[in-house]
Amino acid sequence: MADEEPSVLRQLARLSTIGVTLVAATAIGLAIGYGLDRVLGTGPWLTLIFTLFGIVAGFLNLFRDVGMIGGRRRKP
Amino acid sequence: MATDAADKRSGGKGFWLILAGLVGVNLGVSFYFAPRRVELHHAPVVQLPNFLAFLGVPGEWMPAHVTFTWLIMAILMVVGVLGTRALKPVPGPLQNVVEVVIEAFCGLLDQMIGRQGRQFLPLIGTAGLFILTSNLLGNIPGLQPPTANWNTTVALAVTVFLSYNYFGIRKHGFLNYLKHFCGPIWWLAPIMFVIEFIGHLARPVSLSIRLFGNIFGEESVIVILISLAWLVMPYLIWLGIMLPLSLFTAIVQTFVFIMLSMVYIAGAVEEGHGEEHH
Repeated sequence: MADEEPSVLRQLARLSTIGVTLVAATAIGLAIGYGLDRVLGTGPWLTLIFTLFGIVAGFLNLFRDVGMIGGRRRKP
Repeated sequence: MATDAADKRSGGKGFWLILAGLVGVNLGVSFYFAPRRVELHHAPVVQLPNFLAFLGVPGEWMPAHVTFTWLIMAILMVVGVLGTRALKPVPGPLQNVVEVVIEAFCGLLDQMIGRQGRQFLPLIGTAGLFILTSNLLGNIPGLQPPTANWNTTVALAVTVFLSYNYFGIRKHGFLNYLKHFCGPIWWLAPIMFVIEFIGHLARPVSLSIRLFGNIFGEESVIVILISLAWLVMPYLIWLGIMLPLSLFTAIVQTFVFIMLSMVYIAGAVEEGHGEEHH
């Protein structure tokens, strides 16, 4: 069914990851930092740091998916 | 879509007669059984009874997505057994269909992962067929696709997540696999490890949320339209717009899920391989 136009569907598959991954990485960073803060009791600092890590991870995934860096990963 | 096919086949008039007949029967039944008020808290969603209760499976009424998961498992197992029971060199119709499906999966695996791709056929094929059957089941009004529940899609996504990490560790060894998380620059390695770790954890979340969100939204719209089917217009909207759209969504979401699983597996299996060549 799906292999009439594999390239279009593949682009669709890879491009549809972008939005959700950006949000999900940020949210996971926030959750990890918040959890560590509650366990260790270290103020807002770990929340801030891990949220920044999450944002960086989200943008790293975004740039990889778009193909701006790490072009070595994909060979079509 | 259906109009064109029916036009070519029967000259157009038969299709409209059948459509009018269907709408008429539907309206008659709906008016006969319809409550005189609109009650949306009785959503017209079927809940299967726990038909494995005699085997000792607990709970008289399981949640609907669990029993529908069993139903889909039963469908897939019956088709698999019937399709491969008597293999012939000149395949019959069912064996033909099964072969076409398996060859499509094999082609995708060869394309995405490469020559070592076919060993992942059990995981990818099972996930793809399960999701496809489940999504297509949602197009029958009243039935509930299991993938419209977040628990099912989280189970699928976590399975894929653990599997591709396992495949990577099996291919490269534990330390080498972790080393490829750390990036090329040694003094950035702790930060890069945390960032890559969060990035990898985001993958199952995005996989499960995408599948669940698409199918759940589509299913909610279908339930509302069907529950208002005694007004004529929602039924026609469902028949004309939502049905082709949800068929398309079912296939595309299945494809996206197995596509991303293959991309992840390819990344886990191949990336360390590239570093050996440096």
